[in-house]
Amino acid sequence: MFKNPKVNLLIIVVLIMASLWTVVKDKDNIRLGLDLKGGTRLTLQAEPTPDVPKIRPADMDSLQTVIERRVNGMGIGESVVQRAGENRLIVEIPGVKDPDEAKRLLGRVGKLEFKKLDAQRQWVNTGVSGKDFTKADVATQQSGEWIVQFTLSPSGAKKFADLTRELAPTRAPIGIFFDDEQVSAPAVNEPILDGSGMIEGNFTHETAKELVDTLNAGALPVDIDVVEENTIGPLLGQSSIKQSLFAGLIGLGLVLAFMILCYRMRGFVAGMALLVYTLLTFAIFMTVGVTFTLAGIAGFILSIGMAVDANILIFERTKEELRAGRSKWKAVEVGFDRAFPSIFDSNTTTLITCLLLWVMGTGAVKGFALTLAIGVGVSMFSAITVTRTFLHLIDNASGEPTGAPVKA
Amino acid sequence: MSKQITPETTTTVNEGPLNLYKYRWLFIGISLLFLLPGIYYIAANMLDPEIRAPLKLGIDFKGGTLLEYGFSKHVSQPDVEKIKHVFDEHGYAGSVVQIQEPRVGINKKAVEIGAERTAPSQAEAPTMTGDASAEKAGAQTATVTTNQHEKQPTGEIASIVSVRAKHMQGQVDQEILKDLESQYGHITVLQKNSIGPALAKELLSNGLLALVLAYILIVGYLTYRFQFDFAVCAVVALLHDTVFLLGMFAMFGRLFNTEVDSLFITSVLTVIGFSVHDTIVVFDRIRENLKIYYTKKLPFVTIMNMSVNQTLTRSINTSLTVLLTMLALYFFGGETTRDFVLAIIIGVAAGTYSSIFNASVMLAMWRNRAAAPQALKPATA
Repeated sequence: MFKNPKVNLLIIVVLIMASLWTVVKDKDNIRLGLDLKGGTRLTLQAEPTPDVPKIRPADMDSLQTVIERRVNGMGIGESVVQRAGENRLIVEIPGVKDPDEAKRLLGRVGKLEFKKLDAQRQWVNTGVSGKDFTKADVATQQSGEWIVQFTLSPSGAKKFADLTRELAPTRAPIGIFFDDEQVSAPAVNEPILDGSGMIEGNFTHETAKELVDTLNAGALPVDIDVVEENTIGPLLGQSSIKQSLFAGLIGLGLVLAFMILCYRMRGFVAGMALLVYTLLTFAIFMTVGVTFTLAGIAGFILSIGMAVDANILIFERTKEELRAGRSKWKAVEVGFDRAFPSIFDSNTTTLITCLLLWVMGTGAVKGFALTLAIGVGVSMFSAITVTRTFLHLIDNASGEPTGAPVKA
Repeated sequence: MSKQITPETTTTVNEGPLNLYKYRWLFIGISLLFLLPGIYYIAANMLDPEIRAPLKLGIDFKGGTLLEYGFSKHVSQPDVEKIKHVFDEHGYAGSVVQIQEPRVGINKKAVEIGAERTAPSQAEAPTMTGDASAEKAGAQTATVTTNQHEKQPTGEIASIVSVRAKHMQGQVDQEILKDLESQYGHITVLQKNSIGPALAKELLSNGLLALVLAYILIVGYLTYRFQFDFAVCAVVALLHDTVFLLGMFAMFGRLFNTEVDSLFITSVLTVIGFSVHDTIVVFDRIRENLKIYYTKKLPFVTIMNMSVNQTLTRSINTSLTVLLTMLALYFFGGETTRDFVLAIIIGVAAGTYSSIFNASVMLAMWRNRAAAPQALKPATA
């Protein structure tokens, strides 16, 4: 960074304050993975059927919308539905009481029905269902309004023509029900006779898309398979998080003690930099919104051990330079410069493996890869800039021989 | 730790206390000797009709269902057969039922809840089968176990039982739970992990692909930063670490029933990424020394010996800090990541050895053979 250590110090102090602020501000919003707070993770796989021999991305869009709708319908906040690969969805539901009920609810094909109001203004079946539906699309009218266009199968077109002929004179609504829940009830303006029509009504692109995905999902004759289920009871999660945090603190303490024992004053400085590192990394985790899992915490703790490696390389090198008769300042500078290539190369190999883990891995593995990678990245800053600044400042202030040879 | 060596400015070169090249066969021999048990167990696993893989695969890679129950009543060895029988009745014959060691946090809560009641006979407490769970849990902290002896858990969760079964679908596990509860009273499902065989196969091939890619990318990167022969030697050292780690887990699989899962592949990849660190530090020094002593016409072997000795302290210290954090996690961290952490510890230890005693030695042997007369070629990146 800058040549003047005081400027660097200012930057570091600002970063520390910002990190502290982030951590304090968000301390109640730490996102815990299911393995820590308890919950269920299901991997759903869309299986092709004779009607849908190949699962297309659009089919997955529909499926995802439907699953999201169902998960949200369970009334448990903070559920996540994610795409995984070409034909899978990962559903994470925290604190679910009955995972089997969730599994039953999510693992079935959606039911799309069109209903009409009877004399008692109750919704009744019309016999038109998802099977009669071919597809829906988002479109715009000339006025720029978003609308939903849909097409019916030949048999469906006939049923729909009869239905709309009946409803159009009174502009009665057609109730669109998905999984027995009303998603829309557009009024019928005119009979739809040729098997294709449109729904209008103050849609935004998002709301139109949502309706389209729901309609398509109802028409989607794919099978849903629960290929993975992982349920962690809340008791197990609570016990794990305490243990991991405790282990992390012990690990941090051991590393601090080791550095001070081996490198005395400079070790202490590296230890301070390590504390800065821990704080910065944690603040970044919170800013990025990293979900903490057990494996993720393990990755973080591992990165604490790796973060001081750069300092060890630098200090050992500094010792050599001092023995070769260089001045303190020069020895520190040369120590940093000469150690840099190996620090860079070794961190790169770790980042390579993190990248692979991120690309190939699932859930827990991804969490580990992300925390380790962020940790390695931040450690390059803390071990190099922060330590160097601290060392120079101490050197300037007290004339303390920062580079004095210490017992190996 | 070794005596510190200063870089020499005169032509007389101090190579350092450790003459690696002289004892090269000894160091390589030690490596091979340490690999042998692992290789034996890998072969034994391959030949075992029950396993047919180098390591005992967990449900992540084989498909299946893992259930962990918290029993409110204390269960002991005779109950294992009864629990097994319940699974048999529902068509899951051959399920593996194990009683787990009491666990801090879970049983501790149980202690608090059941504190008023008097503890049942202590002799009953760790009736263990000497199999996987016993051994694995035995490696937990001593404090935990002593604590448990003082306060035998009697409350909500008295015993933890794990069951590994074939992949369960539908409501079977609910029915099994009901049957178990009719015999044992309230049972808390601590965790359930179920993976279909097709997904498992995919996870396994993804994991193996990641391993192969890691090797290729690291050889590529090292070739780019150093030279091809540096990269090859680094990777042979890596291969040593990987085989040692796999061998150890093949052995744990046979002796303690340890199974490998996605986290194991993660730890192997982490070890691959980390154990080249030390090798890189030595190679970086060799590269630098080759430039410094270019005019002095020193044999490569001398440069290599000198470089390893100069970087010995840092190779060991950098690994030590990582080991310290991992040991803390092993002894004080959760059960879930214990095997994962153990794998990293073993891998890092093996990696430190191979970086110091194998990688550079092999490089020197290679260079000696390839270009005996003009051993000096500056290794620029």
